[in-house]
Amino acid sequence: MDVFSYNNIFETKGIEYLVVIAFLMLLIPFWITLNKKVKIAGQIRQAAGILTARTLKIPQGIFYSRNHTWAHLEMSGIANVGLDDLLLHITGDVRFNHLKNPKEKIKKGELLAEIEHNGKTLRIFSPVSGEILDINEVLTDNPELLNEDPYLKGWMYKVRPTRWIAETSTYFIAEDATNWLGKELERFKDFLSGRAGFFSPESARLILQDGGELTDHTLSDLPAEVWQNFQEDFLNHTDPSKHA
Amino acid sequence: MKSLNNPVVTIARDNDGKSVLRFLAGELKPKGKWLTPFNIISIPVIILGLVLIVIRFWKGIGSITNLSQDIPWGLWIGFDVVTGVAFAGGAYVITFMVYILKMNRYHSIVRVTVLNGFLAYVFYAGALLLDLGRPWNVINPIIGNSFGTSSVLFLVAWHFLLYMLAELIEFSPAIAEWLGAKRARKILSGMTLAAVIFGITLSTLHQSGLGALFLMAKEKIHPLWYSEFIPLMFLVSSVFAGLSMVIFEGSISHKVFFNQISEKNHKAQKGIISGLSKICAGAMFAYLFLQVLVFIHGKRWEYLDTPMGYWYLTEIAGFVLIPMILFFYSYRRQNILMIRIAAILTMLGVILNRLNVTVIGFRWDAPVHYVPTWMEIVVTLTVIFTEIWIFRWVINRMPVLRESPSWVNKVK
Amino acid sequence: MGIDRRIFIKTLGVTGVTLVTGTMLGAEVADDEAIEFQGMLYDSTRCVGCRLCEVVCAETHNLPVLKVKLKTGVLRKNSETQRTVINKFATSKGDVSAKKQCMHCNEPACAAACLTQAMHKTKEGPVIWRSEKCMGCRFCMVSCPFDVPKFEYHSANPKIQKCDMCYDRIVSGGIPACAEACGDALIFGSRSLLIAEARRRIAENPKDYVDQIYGEYVAGGTGFLHIGPVPFNELGMNTGLQNSSYPALTKGFLYSVPAVFVLLPSVLLGIHEATKNNQTNDEELE
Repeated sequence: MDVFSYNNIFETKGIEYLVVIAFLMLLIPFWITLNKKVKIAGQIRQAAGILTARTLKIPQGIFYSRNHTWAHLEMSGIANVGLDDLLLHITGDVRFNHLKNPKEKIKKGELLAEIEHNGKTLRIFSPVSGEILDINEVLTDNPELLNEDPYLKGWMYKVRPTRWIAETSTYFIAEDATNWLGKELERFKDFLSGRAGFFSPESARLILQDGGELTDHTLSDLPAEVWQNFQEDFLNHTDPSKHA
Repeated sequence: MKSLNNPVVTIARDNDGKSVLRFLAGELKPKGKWLTPFNIISIPVIILGLVLIVIRFWKGIGSITNLSQDIPWGLWIGFDVVTGVAFAGGAYVITFMVYILKMNRYHSIVRVTVLNGFLAYVFYAGALLLDLGRPWNVINPIIGNSFGTSSVLFLVAWHFLLYMLAELIEFSPAIAEWLGAKRARKILSGMTLAAVIFGITLSTLHQSGLGALFLMAKEKIHPLWYSEFIPLMFLVSSVFAGLSMVIFEGSISHKVFFNQISEKNHKAQKGIISGLSKICAGAMFAYLFLQVLVFIHGKRWEYLDTPMGYWYLTEIAGFVLIPMILFFYSYRRQNILMIRIAAILTMLGVILNRLNVTVIGFRWDAPVHYVPTWMEIVVTLTVIFTEIWIFRWVINRMPVLRESPSWVNKVK
Repeated sequence: MGIDRRIFIKTLGVTGVTLVTGTMLGAEVADDEAIEFQGMLYDSTRCVGCRLCEVVCAETHNLPVLKVKLKTGVLRKNSETQRTVINKFATSKGDVSAKKQCMHCNEPACAAACLTQAMHKTKEGPVIWRSEKCMGCRFCMVSCPFDVPKFEYHSANPKIQKCDMCYDRIVSGGIPACAEACGDALIFGSRSLLIAEARRRIAENPKDYVDQIYGEYVAGGTGFLHIGPVPFNELGMNTGLQNSSYPALTKGFLYSVPAVFVLLPSVLLGIHEATKNNQTNDEELE
């Protein structure tokens, strides 16, 4: 007999919508938790990871100087200056101490800043001459930005350059930069093996994986003498007049 | 913030440390001239419209409309709601492109498109209240008193409400920047992705839902426009309807609010418009084939050689096929003017299509056919003009077309 | 008089069912707990076009009583002041009357369409309109295949006007006013028995009837049933309607909604994850 009610076919719609609401509300914590675990695992892997040319970020549109600082000229005519990814992967997490302030004038090769990790320091020299307009205050509170995002959020200084063309004419850009950084990595490996005598077997394990590849943050646990050597021999920059 | 090409003109400033209330008091003052051409046309229309609305509530809907027992939905539903929502589809398409597909080229137009989408829904839901016979009961399906879950309209109504909320959340960082509320902005920005995903899902369902409203009127809509695939057709056409509106509205805003837009965004305009025209061409190509499929499925050959058949061909060939070809051709030639013309033709086509399904093709066999009264048209214009007024108010104050304040971490 | 009629109909029903189906359904008829839709059977061969049903309906529902002489061939429709109308048609079998009112479908399109449940299919059978819920959106009017609901466009407090089978009277044990007033053409009872009675009449007088009960199958079955001497399209009735329920046409869409709500956000999140590494490109290094 005709016993069914009219909303027979849509009877369960109300409950279904409630289930949908539950799904959407649970989706957010579900997704966040899922990603969190992956992020931490990734960080661990990266920490114990290998430093190769492929793990480096090399934006093609900026100038790289031989002491691993970069300069990028914006449309406004203001140049951003910072440290390249290779240097930061080698040093590991560092703090940034700015030695110059806005309105000061700087010359290419002049001491600009220091980066430091557990008391071990590296001096950073300016890739361009000009007037300093701004320093990145964010790095004081969030030093990890320097390592995480060395080319964008981790900029160090904003400079109005006075001799841009002349000074950057010998710097590396685009595919030259990529080639050069690859070679720098090899040169760094040679540098380390040249110092092999200084390292105990345990330290050696710190810097070289089984496959002969470099570990990431190579210098971070190595002693201060190695940092000094790195500054003088690898970065090869104690005397500003020596380099173009 | 001064623009680079016109350093003397100061554009709106965001709140920088002042108390919010004091800031708002200042912002509420009118900016700019009073007697622009647009104002001169729109103010009398709006006033007349308000008078008509009062009459409508006093004497019933029939006093200012031509709605009949045969044709209960007319211009306000067919045009304001159904077509208006199709045009607001730009919001979900653009946010999909930028936040999901990471097509960052379009990032600069997200805010204005979302603002437009939000305002469109607010005003068209508002226009809906005018069309309701017993609007005091509109809270019934909302507060749980009577959930008609079997109804497609129930779904559409709820989606409208939720979508307005999602769009508001997506737009709220701009409001926070305007008010100088840094922490609020951070929190609201974190909610953007969730609001975008929610918004896209809602849009998909209610763009097609507006089509599904007419599924039960099987014998009442002319067979050339009725099919079980109406929801799908509405969904696909909402893509190019929304994007055409973005092109159209963007072209106007670009001229009117010229000095707010940064140098970078001015240069990017051409690339954005041509990119959108490519997407429109693609969507319309797919839509045309969908129409062919549905045509064959419905065995509609016999209807072609009739007046309605010619009208159908006009809609499809004149206002879908031709603009598609125009989009295609002008994208290849990078001809911005042609793209704009194609956008206008497309929009006309969408208006035609929606009206054909909901009003013109609905009870096409009725003895007295429905033609809107001038009063319905005035009220429609009132709604549209009021929306434009609010839009203009927001653009002149909040960082939508102009750059965000400097404290915002712009690098993404 | 009401009680007598009920006994009469019940007797009729029992006889009819016994004759047609040959099974003893008497137990079911007497059983008041059986949930069965009630309906009405209208017989055009017995209708004389007196329009008493119209008058009584108007009086019962506070609507204006129309003093009109039936003109043959003029198609009147129910309106916001008339819940039912009788039309007279000149047909191959002479002048035939047809009553037009709400069909009280088994699966009403209006009730499925109503987002506030103002249009409601009661368990007794009649489809009623509830003013305290209605927002006047008129979606029921758009959806009804018979174009039944009518709207008071010129009122500030507009109502939907349609036949509700005098639901208040039914609930308190009575029968619809029109069925009560009508001499012979209109009877009220449970749908199954009415169909049986209709079949009986057709079987016994095959020359007087077209072998079809309008309402048995149309729109998935309706509560208002109509039998007559000529094909129904000659009586101003729509014979092009489908024989399945109208709400089922929205089934495909409404069923997919929850699934889309679950799948689409998941897919979008997935694409978002997959395209994450496209973020840093040269356009951003400004």
